[in-house]
Amino acid sequence: MTPLRILILEAQVPFVHGGAEILVRELASALEARGHHAQIVSVPFIDAPKDEIFAGAEAWRLLDVTCAGGRSIDLVIATKFPTYFARHPRKVLWLVHQHRAAYELAGTRFSDFSHTPRDVALRRRLIATDTRVLRECVGHFTIARTVSDRMLKYNGIASEALYNPPKLAGRLHGGPYGDYVLTVTRLEHVKRVDLAIDAFQKTTAALRLLIAGDGSIRHELAEYIERRGLTDRVMLLGRVDDDRLVELYAGCRAVLFAPYQEDYGYVTLEAFLSRKPVITARDSGGTLEFVSDGVNGYVCDPTPDALAAAVDRLGADAALAASLAERGHGVAANITWDNVVERLTEAGSRTQRVRAAQPCG
Amino acid sequence: MRIVVAEACVPFVRDGAELHVQSLVTQLRLRGHDAETVTLPFNGRKDELLDQACAWRMLNISTSNARPIDAVVATRFPTWFARHPRKIVWLIHQHRAAYELFGTPYSDFSDSEPDTRLRQRIAALDSRMFSECERILTNSRNTAKRVQHFNGVSARPLYHPPPLAGRLREGAYGDYVLVVARLEPLKRIDLVIRAMAHVSSPVRLVIVGDGSQRMELERGAAALDLGHRVTFTGSLWGEPVADLYSGALGVVYAPFDEDYGYVTLESFLAGKPMITTADAGGPLEFVRDGINGFVCEPAPASLAAAIDRLGADPALAERLGGAGRELAQTITWDGVIEQLLG
Repeated sequence: MTPLRILILEAQVPFVHGGAEILVRELASALEARGHHAQIVSVPFIDAPKDEIFAGAEAWRLLDVTCAGGRSIDLVIATKFPTYFARHPRKVLWLVHQHRAAYELAGTRFSDFSHTPRDVALRRRLIATDTRVLRECVGHFTIARTVSDRMLKYNGIASEALYNPPKLAGRLHGGPYGDYVLTVTRLEHVKRVDLAIDAFQKTTAALRLLIAGDGSIRHELAEYIERRGLTDRVMLLGRVDDDRLVELYAGCRAVLFAPYQEDYGYVTLEAFLSRKPVITARDSGGTLEFVSDGVNGYVCDPTPDALAAAVDRLGADAALAASLAERGHGVAANITWDNVVERLTEAGSRTQRVRAAQPCG
Repeated sequence: MRIVVAEACVPFVRDGAELHVQSLVTQLRLRGHDAETVTLPFNGRKDELLDQACAWRMLNISTSNARPIDAVVATRFPTWFARHPRKIVWLIHQHRAAYELFGTPYSDFSDSEPDTRLRQRIAALDSRMFSECERILTNSRNTAKRVQHFNGVSARPLYHPPPLAGRLREGAYGDYVLVVARLEPLKRIDLVIRAMAHVSSPVRLVIVGDGSQRMELERGAAALDLGHRVTFTGSLWGEPVADLYSGALGVVYAPFDEDYGYVTLESFLAGKPMITTADAGGPLEFVRDGINGFVCEPAPASLAAAIDRLGADPALAERLGGAGRELAQTITWDGVIEQLLG
């Protein structure tokens, strides 16, 4: 393999730090670990007032990312809107998301685009420009199938969902199929932890539910558990450190994760890498990209009864849990940084042979 | 305050300006401000310069995520093109090839008509951007003089402690003089190596840093039969550099018209005298001949004489270095941030 000089393009929201930022840094480390030279290029993205959105895109268009320090850049990897506006003959897309307020969020309370003629025109123009610029990319990947579906629907561009392993991937391991079911989640309404709690009022198996994570509704959930008289069967562990989390995964019977319309969700993969089956719900979104009912876990109706039945089946039969988990492990083990790096760099060299860094002006 | 420090950087290249910006952000945070850098890639190619300035102009960084940003500190070309109602310039440098380096071998601008037009355009645009700014401070007097000369803007120098400040300490006055620099033509390391051929005392030369001239300089040292007296350590950061400062007899720094140069202050904070040249620019704001170091002619024999004086008299080195330390200790981050934010 020829080591490539690669720039990862990132949209920075000054003073805000989130998941995409971590993803970009992990990609940079993964590329470096495989002998490439990778650097992150961040340009601030300001989305208010809305007129500034195109100016932000134009800034990417104006910058030269083909050359650095007198040597050529072999490949750029675009991530979010408007990073893909950069110009490079080998621009590969690994889409985190477009400007969602102008896409699927338009018309919801999460968007500042309304149904005025001006906003509608602006959205149309933005989507049309996106489509044109996205087509310039020599490879189209996204971080999850929901993102691919969205790009196909709005931009008519097909892409491949290219998953990355969860951060703990290297450390997770299997263990005994113990006497508890694990939920790992931020404690927010959209994660539907109350649904999992309700399920444990219906279970007959002697299994407990341990909930790792913290969030804005922790207090509310603690009261909820107490009101239902479940304090000896359902425990809120709060935020746990990585070491503890790895052990919690290793010792559980199964992982229960039934959020509403999750985008991706590393929990499913973490469960599989710990050789545990996953119980989820039909409307949980991202988990369904990996969980197949009866194959490596259970996909239930989003009701306490349905979830309880799945918990009881695994409660009665640890061997069943182990056999489901084995197949889950196969799914998750295929999701590697090796694969991500290979697919992204391969796509970049497809159009034109990449040679050792060329001198440039 | 929420403050953005704006920077332009060549990907894959680290330099003094980057350290400067990082230090500023750290120091602002230590004093309770919410500070963050905004860094756009920079390419020094002539035909990309205006596009890059334009990219910065596209950015309205007065708010982020629906909250106002209170101030932007611009540092080098073209960061002051960003849009913000409260811009403060703490100038590290303009695009030097279009300014004071023009006409020297260090500039890629010729006197052709397109090049001349481009230079004039850059100067005119810079001037216009500076007029939008609340105040203009520079990293050194040298830089302030330049911006006054070329852009007609009044600016005053605001010195800051070097990144190594906290780690430097006095040590023995050993048997070597130290050079810390990127190995690039403007730093004139070749001049120091040639000086070593004239040095009669048993003083060695240790060169910390790397750059495009590494091979050429190593060959040059070998050709002068100085292989055993000149050591190249390559790039070093942090503690190992502080150790080398601490054990040196003195520090030699002979760049051409340097802006500021941390090396002078680092040398002084380690209690070492500085040997520099009359055309070195920034170092001359601190180095006084015979008081805290030596200001030589930019010629090998002249530098060699200064090195020999220290070689023959380590007590002199200690006395000069001590005077330098007193001067360097008056430069603090508290003072910098107070003046910067006004």
